Amino acid sequence: MPTRLSDRGGVAAAYAAGGVLVIAVTVIMAWLVWQGISTISWDFLTTGPAPGSLEQGVAGGILPALVGTLIVIVFGMLVAIPLGLGVAIFLTEYRQPNWLAKGTDTAIDLIFGVPSVVFALFGLAIFSQGWLSWLSNPVGDAGMATAQSFFCASLMMALIGLPPVVRSSQAAILGVPNQQREASYSLGKGRLTTIRRIVVPGARPGIATGIVLGIGRIAGDTAIVWILLGGAVLQSPPDGWYLPWNLVDFLRSEGSTLTTYIYFSSPAGEGNSPGPAYGAAFVLMVVILFVNIALIRLSRRKIGKR
Amino acid sequence: MDPMETPSNDRADERAVRQEWRHSMDRTADLKAAGDPTDPTVPAVAAEPPAPTTAADVPAAPAAAPEAPAAATSSSGHPAHVADPRDLVLAIRGLRVSFSGNEILHGVDIDAPRGGVVALVGPSGCGKTTLLRSVNRLTELAPTASITGEVQLDGSNIYDRGTDLNLLRRRVGMVFQQPNPFPMTIFDNVAFAMREQAKTRPSRSSLMPAVQDVLQRAGLWDEVKDNLDRNALSLSGGQQQRLCIARTLAANPEVILMDEPCSALDPRSTARIEELIVQLAGSLTIVIVTHNLAQAKRIGDYAAYLLNGDVIEQGLAQQVFEDPTEQSTRDFVSGMFG
Ligand SMILES: Nc1ncnc2c1ncn2[C@@H]1O[C@H](COP(=O)(O)OP(=O)(O)OP(=O)(O)O)[C@@H](O)[C@H]1O
Ligand SMILES: [Mg+2]
Repeated sequence: MPTRLSDRGGVAAAYAAGGVLVIAVTVIMAWLVWQGISTISWDFLTTGPAPGSLEQGVAGGILPALVGTLIVIVFGMLVAIPLGLGVAIFLTEYRQPNWLAKGTDTAIDLIFGVPSVVFALFGLAIFSQGWLSWLSNPVGDAGMATAQSFFCASLMMALIGLPPVVRSSQAAILGVPNQQREASYSLGKGRLTTIRRIVVPGARPGIATGIVLGIGRIAGDTAIVWILLGGAVLQSPPDGWYLPWNLVDFLRSEGSTLTTYIYFSSPAGEGNSPGPAYGAAFVLMVVILFVNIALIRLSRRKIGKR
Repeated sequence: MDPMETPSNDRADERAVRQEWRHSMDRTADLKAAGDPTDPTVPAVAAEPPAPTTAADVPAAPAAAPEAPAAATSSSGHPAHVADPRDLVLAIRGLRVSFSGNEILHGVDIDAPRGGVVALVGPSGCGKTTLLRSVNRLTELAPTASITGEVQLDGSNIYDRGTDLNLLRRRVGMVFQQPNPFPMTIFDNVAFAMREQAKTRPSRSSLMPAVQDVLQRAGLWDEVKDNLDRNALSLSGGQQQRLCIARTLAANPEVILMDEPCSALDPRSTARIEELIVQLAGSLTIVIVTHNLAQAKRIGDYAAYLLNGDVIEQGLAQQVFEDPTEQSTRDFVSGMFG
């Protein structure tokens, strides 16, 4: 029991900080649920924006936006996870040559700190090159490309999803006790086997945390969607987009995500439809929460049977 | 496990694994035939009557170690684990180790006759761990380490260029001070060294005979056989350490290095490990660092006393502990025994 006055003050401050946070989060969640839940319906989730979406009440559904969010998450992380894990392993287990390690470290910090709109702008310059038109669509005969597609957006998303994967994995790998590595070496295992079978499995929970944070960054980004995906809320996906053989064409097309949908339909955007905006926000929250719980669960898998 | 594996594949793996294992099992059988102590509660060294020998059977003093003449002057018999004391599985010659220019070992010479238990004793910080870790080349993992001298394993220097490090570490296994099983199942811990050795990834059923054999040799089988899929970290400390020994045995080593393997264990578990060491001796060679002189006396066939990075005295354990030649050994031994 704290007896001294300063102790009590410290405890009270800690309680207050925790309390404020819990209250703030609860209020935000409750508000979203309260505002959003009435909009949620089967139709809302499974149809596209209606032609008259710019007017309140007839905004239609969020299906393309929801699918768009999932696509940039999946394709962005498909690049960010192996790359991020590789960088983390390099930075912890190898660090040779030193200049490359230091350079990589700085680069990761930079990517972490720079707002995504900067990368989006850079991506626009790159992806509009004619020779990269296979990532989006060619523009006339000008030898240029639209630079707006799921491919282009996902590649930039991979970049902003990368730093949390690297940093979390790095910390987790450093947390694997050296004894474990030495035990593995002492059994005649080389460095690579040791990394693959001991270090990475041991770091799994931290790696999962990094992936969750990366997914959060990607799902929450609007600048890249705006500039490299088109942010085209009104555009419904091409016919038969869900058929596997149309996948490449679909990924080369423009699209939207939940974040741009929310902006569009909110009173701040053009839609002035707060209901659907809250509904989409609620869905986005549920998606993130679900991914979060699923990944953390998976990574904490119990060893053996009880 | 790969679900695509065909049964015929399994059988081929099994044969390969069995073959690899025959070797080690034969050695165990030889040992039993040779009259392994059957009562494990009696400390082996005391229990075994010294075999009648001549002075020629005494291990030769290391040629390059005039400062350790003790072994040559000893006249008692050689330990039962050791078939031929002149057959050195391990011969450390002039080993110098320094970290960032600070020399820790000043030219160490140690002999380990095949099949024996060599106990390394000495005050804290004298370099015992460093010495041990230099025998399977873990020392060089520290970037500041520099190592000169020779460690001959079966007559060839492990520090020669072109040494296969992974093969070396399979031949010279290591058991650490803190039990450090991998956070996997008991089965996976033991199978760790066997997997990825084979060309095809062996199936569980093909590994099982070898896993069982190794767990039996480590004296853990009866305690874990009903639940090999338990998390190894849920075992007791003593069981974990025996699992670590089993895991090491699975690589089929010729020498096992043990760095104070009992210092984190209670007396009962310690007794189990000591028993195990005595049983394993003969089929392989054990170099053990211990702070516990009574333990060194109980299980050691040979002993070496290290002080500040020098070997002060080495030879038959009995002689080093009961009738040391050097005054500083005498002080150390009497200080500990009271
Ligand atoms: N990686 C390292 N870098 C620098 N110095 C080291 C390193 N490893 C060991 N040393 C030093 O070497 C000396 C001997 O250490 P070592 O661990 O071999 O002693 P020890 O005989 O095993 O001691 P203990 O009985 O306490 O385990 C110590 O002074 C230690 O500080
Ligand atoms: Mg030590």
